[in-house]
Amino acid sequence: MSLIEVKDLRKVYGEEESQTVALGGVTFAIEKGEFVSIMGPSGSGKSTLLQILGFLDKHTGGTYVFEGKSSEQYEDDELAAIRNEKLGFIFQAFNLLPKTTVLENTVLPLMYSDVPEREWEPRGRRAIEAVGLGHRINHETGKLSGGEKQRAAIARALVNDPEVIFADEPTGNLDSRSGQMVMRTIQELNEKHGHTVILITHESATAEHAHRIIRIRDGRIESDEPVRNRRRADEAFDK
Amino acid sequence: MRYKYAIRSAIQGVARHKSRSALTILGIVIGVASIILIQSVGSGAQGLILDQVQGLGSLTVTIMPGRPQSGPADGANSFSDSIKDREVEAIRNTANVPGLTNVTPTLFIPGSTAYGTETYEGTIYGTAPGFASILSLEVAEGDFITDQDVDARASVAVIGHTVREELFGESDALGQRIRIGNRSFRVVGILEEKASALFVEPDKVVIVPYTAAQSYLSGSDYYNMVFGQAVSEDQLDAVQADIERTIRDLHDITDPEKDDFDVGTQKELAAQIGTITDILTYLLSSVAAISLVVGGIGIMNIMLVSVTERTREIGLRKALGARSGDVLSQFLIEAVILTSVGGIIGIIAGAVFSLLAAFALSTFVGLNWSFSFPVTAAVIGIGTSAAVGLIFGLYPASQAAKKSPMEALRYE
Repeated sequence: MSLIEVKDLRKVYGEEESQTVALGGVTFAIEKGEFVSIMGPSGSGKSTLLQILGFLDKHTGGTYVFEGKSSEQYEDDELAAIRNEKLGFIFQAFNLLPKTTVLENTVLPLMYSDVPEREWEPRGRRAIEAVGLGHRINHETGKLSGGEKQRAAIARALVNDPEVIFADEPTGNLDSRSGQMVMRTIQELNEKHGHTVILITHESATAEHAHRIIRIRDGRIESDEPVRNRRRADEAFDK
Repeated sequence: MRYKYAIRSAIQGVARHKSRSALTILGIVIGVASIILIQSVGSGAQGLILDQVQGLGSLTVTIMPGRPQSGPADGANSFSDSIKDREVEAIRNTANVPGLTNVTPTLFIPGSTAYGTETYEGTIYGTAPGFASILSLEVAEGDFITDQDVDARASVAVIGHTVREELFGESDALGQRIRIGNRSFRVVGILEEKASALFVEPDKVVIVPYTAAQSYLSGSDYYNMVFGQAVSEDQLDAVQADIERTIRDLHDITDPEKDDFDVGTQKELAAQIGTITDILTYLLSSVAAISLVVGGIGIMNIMLVSVTERTREIGLRKALGARSGDVLSQFLIEAVILTSVGGIIGIIAGAVFSLLAAFALSTFVGLNWSFSFPVTAAVIGIGTSAAVGLIFGLYPASQAAKKSPMEALRYE
């Protein structure tokens, strides 16, 4: 059983005449522990796909099976619990709460979980140290650099030790050096901690950090191939 | 368990937008403060008036011409001539009203009193010696008017402290002749200074025998009010009933509804005044309560703006695992925190303003004003503010809870 299985997945926006087809039937499976890039130009449907896979949005056709259970079988509150416990999100625009510290942002998912309060700080601290931001733990997020902000967001994504980490253009708002550091962190999460990573990007250089690239265009899969010369973010960084 | 975190998120939400939060609660602050102020001033005024009524003495009975007043005064009563000598004689008769003493027929005549070129505008009281004991007036110089003065229609007058100062300044007043209306009166007594009681300001009175007032000043044969005193408190009800029966017999009245006079006691008067000031206080409080509703609408308005503005935050929270219920309670609790804090500030502000008002009234106006903190109003004030937050926060909070995590993230 694959972790994620989609069959003929479709997403149509709007009513009747003014319909826009964002996904015109895509089929693939992602195994536990994989690092997959979903790549395509803007408007290709890659963000829509991520939102459906991350249970942020609902598809209009086909099937989506997560951990052997079809997405239609989940109630809204169950989906909230899955997002909380099994999924971690990293967004292009960081989406950190303003005027709060790195630690406060990091423990936010724990507030909506069953993790007892006394474990919040140690878990938050561990996640922050894992992304190399230990020296900024009590800084307000507004005062961090772009790369630091994204690493704070990564700490938040992994604080609940999720099954899958979704990263939507995580380097899109960063300079190349900060982008490399973020990619190194993401690769480490996949290799050292065994998190499944699904990365959305329009740059092939970023996509090549994964094991496998699914290319989408106009809502359909163009190609789905393993990466032969996989990029190592730490090597690039050391140069 | 989760509510604890909803409360924490709500506190953070309020704290992150301090100046907006402060502006939001202003309406509630003003509403609650005015309710507290009105309640406090209302009970102070009531205390003041009741003090004056009590100054009348618990044994005092008043007989006024005209229908008993059940609602607002209708003016006609003041001009009623149903109480004349015949009625006064009848109630003086101990065979009719055994427990009544000090029967004091009284006229109130607005007019001016003059000495040389000085004049004093005020009320002239045509009354009897009993007036002094009923209002506890003390004579500082000379004597009060006597029964002989009344019988002889003597042109003598007793004046209050202020009247004496206005007319005579530093010079001697006793024995001097003053002009009231067109007649000359001799000053036989000057009253001690005394705080006002029952709307009579002893310092500002000019007192003459009622017989002289009728003959020389009013030219009429009826009285505006008759005072009397019951011999003891247990006789008060009997005295009141006896007076009513006596005058009804005299006037051939069988139906008490058709009474053309009104017998009152201090107890009744106190109850009436209490009712009137209560009604006024509640009326004004309900006007102030409208501002709470306005404040609530203000909160709803700003919360709606805030929900739109924080769409990203809401989406983020949902993406991180917040359920709709979590978001709903967070925003609802934010609204309740805002209005409750507004209520508490309002109570403090209201108490401070009432205290200042009490201080000003007693220091600068010279009233015997006592400050009281309306505890009930304070409790109701906090409860109402919280309820306002709950009611007016519900719509914005449900709007927030409805947002889909995806739409929220897309919002720029």
